[in-house]
Amino acid sequence: MNGLIQDVKFALRQLRKAPGFTITAILTLALGIGANAAIFTLVHAVLLKNLPVVDPKMLVRVGDNDECCINGGAAYKNDYTLFSYDLYTHLRDQIPEFEQLAAMQAGIGYGSLTTRRSNDSSLPKSLRSEMVSGNYFQVFGLTPYAGRLLTPADDVAGAPPGVVMSYQTWQRDYGLDPTVVGSTFLLNTNPVTVVGITPPGFYGDRMTDTPPDFYIPMAMEPQLGPAHPTTILHRSDRSWIYLIGRIKPGTELPSLQAKMGGVLRGFLAQLPTFQRKGMEQNLAQSHVVLVPAGAGIENMQQNTGKGLRLLFIVSALVLLIACANIANLVLVRGMARRAETSIRMALGAQRRRLIRQMLTESVLLSCLGGLAGLVVAYGGTRVLLNMAFPDATDLPIQATPSTVVLAFAFGLSLLTGLIFGIAPAWVTSHSEPAEALRGSNRTTQDRSGWLQRSLVILQAALSLVLLVGAGLMAKSLSNLEGQNFGVKTENRFVAHFSPENAAYKQNQLQSLYDRITQDLHALPGVERVSLSMYTPLEGNNWSEGVQFQGRAEPKVGDEMGASWLRASPEFFDIVGHHVLRGRGITEQDTATSTPIAVVNEAFVKKFFSNGKDPIGAHFGVSGMQSVGDFEIVGVVSDVKYNNVREHTRAMYFRPLLQMAHTKPEDDTRSMYASAIMLQTKGSIDDLESQVRRTLANIDPNLTVSRYDTFQGQIRGQFNQERLIARLTLMFGALALVLASVGLYGVTAYSVARRTPEIGVRMALGANRGSVIAMVLREALMQAGIGLAIGVPVTWICTRFVQSQLYGVAGHDLVVLGGAVLILAGAAFAAGLIPAQRAASTDPVQALRME
Amino acid sequence: MIELKNVERSYKTGHTETWVLRRVNLTIRPWEFITIMGPSGAGKSSLLNVLAMLDDQWKGEFDFDGEAVHRMNRKQRADLARRRIGMVFQSYHLLDDLTVAENIDLPLSYKDIPRAERQSLVADTLDRFQIVGKKDLYPHQLSGGQQQLVGIARAMIHTPALLLADEPTGNLQSKQAKEIMEMFRQLNEEGTTIVQVTHSEANAAYGTRIIELRDGWIYSDTAGEVNNTAAEVGQ
Ligand SMILES: Nc1ncnc2c1ncn2[C@@H]1O[C@H](COP(=O)(O)OP(=O)(O)OP(=O)(O)O)[C@@H](O)[C@H]1O
Ligand SMILES: [Mg+2]
Repeated sequence: MNGLIQDVKFALRQLRKAPGFTITAILTLALGIGANAAIFTLVHAVLLKNLPVVDPKMLVRVGDNDECCINGGAAYKNDYTLFSYDLYTHLRDQIPEFEQLAAMQAGIGYGSLTTRRSNDSSLPKSLRSEMVSGNYFQVFGLTPYAGRLLTPADDVAGAPPGVVMSYQTWQRDYGLDPTVVGSTFLLNTNPVTVVGITPPGFYGDRMTDTPPDFYIPMAMEPQLGPAHPTTILHRSDRSWIYLIGRIKPGTELPSLQAKMGGVLRGFLAQLPTFQRKGMEQNLAQSHVVLVPAGAGIENMQQNTGKGLRLLFIVSALVLLIACANIANLVLVRGMARRAETSIRMALGAQRRRLIRQMLTESVLLSCLGGLAGLVVAYGGTRVLLNMAFPDATDLPIQATPSTVVLAFAFGLSLLTGLIFGIAPAWVTSHSEPAEALRGSNRTTQDRSGWLQRSLVILQAALSLVLLVGAGLMAKSLSNLEGQNFGVKTENRFVAHFSPENAAYKQNQLQSLYDRITQDLHALPGVERVSLSMYTPLEGNNWSEGVQFQGRAEPKVGDEMGASWLRASPEFFDIVGHHVLRGRGITEQDTATSTPIAVVNEAFVKKFFSNGKDPIGAHFGVSGMQSVGDFEIVGVVSDVKYNNVREHTRAMYFRPLLQMAHTKPEDDTRSMYASAIMLQTKGSIDDLESQVRRTLANIDPNLTVSRYDTFQGQIRGQFNQERLIARLTLMFGALALVLASVGLYGVTAYSVARRTPEIGVRMALGANRGSVIAMVLREALMQAGIGLAIGVPVTWICTRFVQSQLYGVAGHDLVVLGGAVLILAGAAFAAGLIPAQRAASTDPVQALRME
Repeated sequence: MIELKNVERSYKTGHTETWVLRRVNLTIRPWEFITIMGPSGAGKSSLLNVLAMLDDQWKGEFDFDGEAVHRMNRKQRADLARRRIGMVFQSYHLLDDLTVAENIDLPLSYKDIPRAERQSLVADTLDRFQIVGKKDLYPHQLSGGQQQLVGIARAMIHTPALLLADEPTGNLQSKQAKEIMEMFRQLNEEGTTIVQVTHSEANAAYGTRIIELRDGWIYSDTAGEVNNTAAEVGQ
């Protein structure tokens, strides 16, 4: 024990005596470990975490896709993930293998609830809700933090309206006020009672940066549902809920899956959609996939998984480079101290004692590096989370690395220290002391030299891979962001609101829209105002299958889909659509005038490829009886609305309040605008609060749920790509720095070792230039071999990121060439410093070193 | 050939300045074979380093064949030394990774000499020093005397006018030392000016003139009067 303390003290003194080595080693470890712990924390929290519920292993999700929000018709690829409420109750009652099967709303809307506590005089807030079946909390086995949770008795028509508030909301907005439980709230102007508070850790059934504030029984769908003011609760042709169930112990998933498929087909077969000709195959192929739901609905996991896994691999490579660096540093140091060790051994020191001393030092170093790594990990996780979820309000992810993560990273650094501490200790203590003592004139062959060089070569190769990866990601992001969306963004703003939450009836909309447009126009500096169902690049999309007048009925499988939205006259100008032919939407397109549509170029290309004139053509969306519903009066330029990686979809635009002749009841929900766009002259101070005030003046229940610049909204589409591009760039840079430090270290060490030789060369006539060239040649040779290995490896690796790239070939020669140049430049810089030091060797001194 | 006037050299260690060469005046004429002697620490190596133009920190005047070395910059000195001076070291300083032939070729590799010419020069030198048979061996495969022979061959390959040797036989047995000295004498007779440092009276006997250094001062010089005459002539 005493010996150990003595060893530690001595080791500390040794480390203090070589501050350059110590600091480099600790920094390298800190960055390597910290970056990895941070990434792994994110991966762990997002991809591997179970819901904080009872026995999550027994939870099973019916369906495996990320689909949203309300779907009509057959499921995509006949794989059912979204269900109608009636289909849910059918499955629930027909499948006894589930102890409980719960239903939950697929799309949790932003600000879907205009919320006010009934005895509170402040303005209503915009909060989020999720509709759930009455047994929702029983499936998860949760107990309330306060009051009670929902039960099946709450979820029947006519039951007293009771909702559950989330703990986070209770804490954030109501200061944990106990009187909230049992009090009345006005949700979208409907009075409900808050019956209880969820347990604190519970963040809903899925990982999201915007978890629900209220859990509302499905029975209240007609008042508070996603289709309000219409209802879809009992429409079997509207799929809008997810299913999670708790299976009974011993249930075999494959057979249950097959059984559920059968029950599903039995239900679908009765629906009119599936009785149409040509749907037989769809029906026969309809099925469900059961997946474990311990982590809940894994939409976010599916969306971010690929990127996170990529980052994980990247950071692991960085750790590898860092370990190579540590190995090199420790090796260099061990070798540099050979003479000292030899003298000690010649003086009778025991081999065991010497090895222990060296090990103490490297373990100590690892520990110090590990500690510094903790700091980096904590800070890094926070930074990462902010980068990954910039708009998150209540992200259910802790920004603290778990002990497992830390232990893993710490252990790794310890291992590196041990292995590479033992190697030189072993080599040294087994060398003949006389040999090492004989001096540098007969420099013994440097056994560790090749190992060091291989490590540097490995580092260079890995760095190249990372740099190329970073380059590809950056280029892809800039392609994505830099593409022509067809929009104009300067001085444009987007505000979201919902008249249906403020309980507006359909016949009140005209005057509401007029009033909003008028009042916002009256704000100084506001040039244009539009209302629309949604806006470009906000992630929303409505689409329908269209049928044309004078053409045959489309067959099942024909591509007849078109996206659409309703908008007010100034919308096209604000967004940046140019009217190319005919006209846009005007003030004259009122509820009572002839229903018209304006289409985009992609629509013309898709449906008028025969060269026929689209202007004057008629189409409808409710079968062949509807083909005369809308008349095309204009064509506008393409703007990307939805998927930034795909071509612009065929789109048509309709006035806000015109109703289709056919099935008008299906054409009312869309009359509720949810987006306001503004175009201003120059920048206006505090436009947001002016907009909020203007709406509140019209009706206090008109809350703004989201407000952003148009530019900011578009930027938000690339958050994940940006995160990955930035992180790979960061890691690429880190790898470059580490590899450069490695190369520098090895070169500097080699120069130090060769000082007498360099002195001789200079005494024999070598000038500065030739010495610099000699040292640089060696450094660049290692980098060169690294590149020679790295280029083909990179060539192979880029195939795995190809799917994440946009507009970039995996084998992008510019990126590859750039990365090679950067690496060569870094190697040159790393070699130049020791080379210059070598060139300024004083031959007199060098020759005296004997 | 060489004219040193008031050459001084000191080392600053901390606040104290230690003088290792003090007002050294020295004239070296072509064909001379000078031996520098003196106790350890007297400044012999320091003087040799000045003559070899490896050292730049001295003060005073230094003319080499009429060229003023004290007015030259590092590059000019290095160029001059590369052309006119050869160095032999006590511990040989052969490069371990290079063969005998490659070691000998080293000084040529720092000059602009065509490859073919270099090869023939190396061959000639190997021949002249009778080490052709050893040309592909590495230094550690040679005896000390053989290594020093290679060291001299390396110093002589570009036929310098001045050969400087700092204790060339310091690591050798007397028999080997004698061979080296014979070689020096032969080179001197062929026209090379030689300045050697040695502690051995026997070695000194090969030379034509002995200079003794003590505490950085020239204590005695067997050619003292010549020096003075030269000074008088100069006036
Ligand atoms: N780099 C240096 N820094 C400080 N003092 C030095 C340095 N080099 C030499 N000296 C001092 O200069 C003096 C002369 O050294 P020098 O090497 O010229 O002696 P020498 O006559 O060659 O001795 P020896 O016979 O032992 O080789 C010595 O006192 C030595 O300590
Ligand atoms: Mg000496």
